[in-house]
Amino acid sequence: MGDVLPLTQAAYLPGVAYDEMFAPGGGVRPHYELLQDRIASLGAEELGERQRTLERSFLLQGITFTVYGAETATERIIPTDLFPRIIPAEEWAKIEAGLTQRLRALNMFLADIYGDQRVLMDGVAPREMVLGAASYRREMQHLYVPHNAYANVCGSDLIRAEDGGFVVLEDNLRVPSGVSYMLANRDASRRTFPGVFRQAGVRPVERYPDLLLSTLKSMAGELRSDPQVVVLTPGVYNSAYYEHAYLARLMGVPLVEGRDLAVHDNRVYMRTTAGLRRVDVIYRRVDDDFIDPLTFRRDSSLGAAGLFNAYRAGNVIICNAPGTGVADDKAVYAYVPDIIRYYLAEEPILANVETFLCREPSQLSHVLANLDKVVVKAVGASGGYGMLVGPHASKAERAAFADALKANPDNYIAQPTIQLSTAPCLVDARIEPRHVDLRPFILSGEKVVVTPGALTRVALRRGSLVVNSSQGGGSKDTWVLTEATARP
Amino acid sequence: MMLARVADSLYWIGRYIERAEHVSRLAAVMLNAALDVGAGAAQTSRIALAAVGAHDAGRADHAYEAARDLSLDREEAGSVVACLAMARENARQVRDQITTETWEQLNMLHLRVNGRAQEEAFDDDPAGFLQGIIADLHLFKGAVDSTLSHGEGWRFLLIGVYLERAQLIARLLEACFSDRKSPPVIEPIALMSLLRMACALEPYLRVYTADINPRFILEFLLFDEDFPRSIRFCTARIQALLEQLSHQAGAGRSDALRLAGRLDARLKYADVEEVEASGAGTLLAAVAGECAQIHEAIYETFVAYPLELSLPG
Repeated sequence: MGDVLPLTQAAYLPGVAYDEMFAPGGGVRPHYELLQDRIASLGAEELGERQRTLERSFLLQGITFTVYGAETATERIIPTDLFPRIIPAEEWAKIEAGLTQRLRALNMFLADIYGDQRVLMDGVAPREMVLGAASYRREMQHLYVPHNAYANVCGSDLIRAEDGGFVVLEDNLRVPSGVSYMLANRDASRRTFPGVFRQAGVRPVERYPDLLLSTLKSMAGELRSDPQVVVLTPGVYNSAYYEHAYLARLMGVPLVEGRDLAVHDNRVYMRTTAGLRRVDVIYRRVDDDFIDPLTFRRDSSLGAAGLFNAYRAGNVIICNAPGTGVADDKAVYAYVPDIIRYYLAEEPILANVETFLCREPSQLSHVLANLDKVVVKAVGASGGYGMLVGPHASKAERAAFADALKANPDNYIAQPTIQLSTAPCLVDARIEPRHVDLRPFILSGEKVVVTPGALTRVALRRGSLVVNSSQGGGSKDTWVLTEATARP
Repeated sequence: MMLARVADSLYWIGRYIERAEHVSRLAAVMLNAALDVGAGAAQTSRIALAAVGAHDAGRADHAYEAARDLSLDREEAGSVVACLAMARENARQVRDQITTETWEQLNMLHLRVNGRAQEEAFDDDPAGFLQGIIADLHLFKGAVDSTLSHGEGWRFLLIGVYLERAQLIARLLEACFSDRKSPPVIEPIALMSLLRMACALEPYLRVYTADINPRFILEFLLFDEDFPRSIRFCTARIQALLEQLSHQAGAGRSDALRLAGRLDARLKYADVEEVEASGAGTLLAAVAGECAQIHEAIYETFVAYPLELSLPG
């Protein structure tokens, strides 16, 4: 790596995408200058050492997933990169305003969909598309949700287009994960680059757990003055278990599994050493389908039988509310800008990525003609599954997708392939550009709060645009700066 | 008040780490004795294996392999690595309830002994490998003591430790003094090994001087009030912890507490003449049996109680 230090654009060679650190002319963007100086003064060997220390600390903390081999199960850490991704204050201000606006509108949309459905009657979004979405929950119709806060925790995925502007790629309103990695990465980067961190002026993310707790408590304001909050996890084998335990620990509330809960007389209890204790708010990290075998999937043992009836009776709060998925459906996504205009009479602050709905015959033929240029996604899927990245796919893969598109066009949308921005990463002892996205976390209860930070997900393979951790993606810390960067 | 499942996991962490420590010590003493020639070495191996329930006489002749299996065999539920893996798995399930200091200590130990290089590390320096584990477990217990709140969860973990320890020591003494297949151990080297297996040699010497005989050993490991690995010490702690837990849970005089009190009293008022007259076997069998009953009763009282009895009125 010695030959790539000190870091210069010539040695680093970003591709055609927007680079977070280097401007097109080759100069370092001002908000990265402190970091660049430090990278140069530390040198290759020390950087490698710090990366190993970082990985070791993730291993000790148990931020791992298990890989099952022929004979042994080995634990791997979630890949993480030591260089922070830095976002200047003025860019963040726009992101914050845009996400707040978006979540307010989406919550109003959900309240409307599960209420009078004005938005459908006014023809803003097609009725059969919304009510036909797999994530629409008829059982939620006309249920009261405090503050109309359906999606209490939202993690939206933002990307930078080639021109450098942030756009929303998708919303995650069901059980978004990754916030513990944001916090763990922050903890690590404070140790890896303490001097740069202090000098740069980074906004804190550490309040997330207590803000989450007050958001959850605000949902039970009318139910109980000091509500018993719990986190519901599918259990230790879930890939996000670390996060569930982390949040429960930092909020100081019990981490329960379905088998710890019992529903009696439409009230929810947990089994404690001193008998049954009432539960008021459930921050559930279990998908809708699995929370109650009596109402949703019968074969589920991850939830509690009768939970949904207790919810209907108003005796317990479930966060996020069941049925929020209808607002992050990939086809509904295309209508979000109109949804914002409809409810708030404002122009969207953050734009969408141009989206082709394959359900429309004219758009389908456009997609089929341009399969080598677009990204195709199944509307109900997430986590990078059921997806075709046209330019990177083989002819056979494209042909297979074309058949699937023609057979079931309603199930697909397509978007132009966007070269996500790149950021420097330490890869095999070299500093190389890798594509990144941005997942900030927005809380919504009595108030909407955007945490000034995010999970930056990294596509670790050179040139890859897929950042999902289930597809081999990694992550890095995200620094939101306190004010306009001015070098001393 | 804590989740019943969490209490159960904390209790099992206590049991598994105690078992891992004990088996590490058995393996270490066995390996050390195997360096000598003579009756003492052979008896030591036999005692260690009998104490973990392996009565196969053939294995005792291959002390090194037997010790290696006790330490590293993942398929063997009682091996050190298996116990550590179970302790760590339980800790992972209650990660939100234990401190980062305790978790990281246990996680680090588990990763170290379950890594790919563990077999090489053992063959390279078996005594050092086992001593390292024992030392790390002491650090874990220290972290438990100095970073966890000494509340309900801590009490469940410690009950696991003491109940397991009482049973392990009882089984060790049974292997020496009331094994139906072997005569009682009288060979001095083997008796010293026995004390080492109970981590009791130095404390014993301070009480009895270097007068090593079965009667004193039984007296010390059964009845000593101050030595933390005597059965009497364990039962006193179990009773005290259960008293606090029952009070906290509003369980009143639970079955578990009654059984623990009876066992404690049995040890408190017995004396070594009686034991010698009737043979140690009777008392040791009673200790093992009653510990098992206490285990059941704890489960019934705090974890798997019937729901209909605990619904609010």
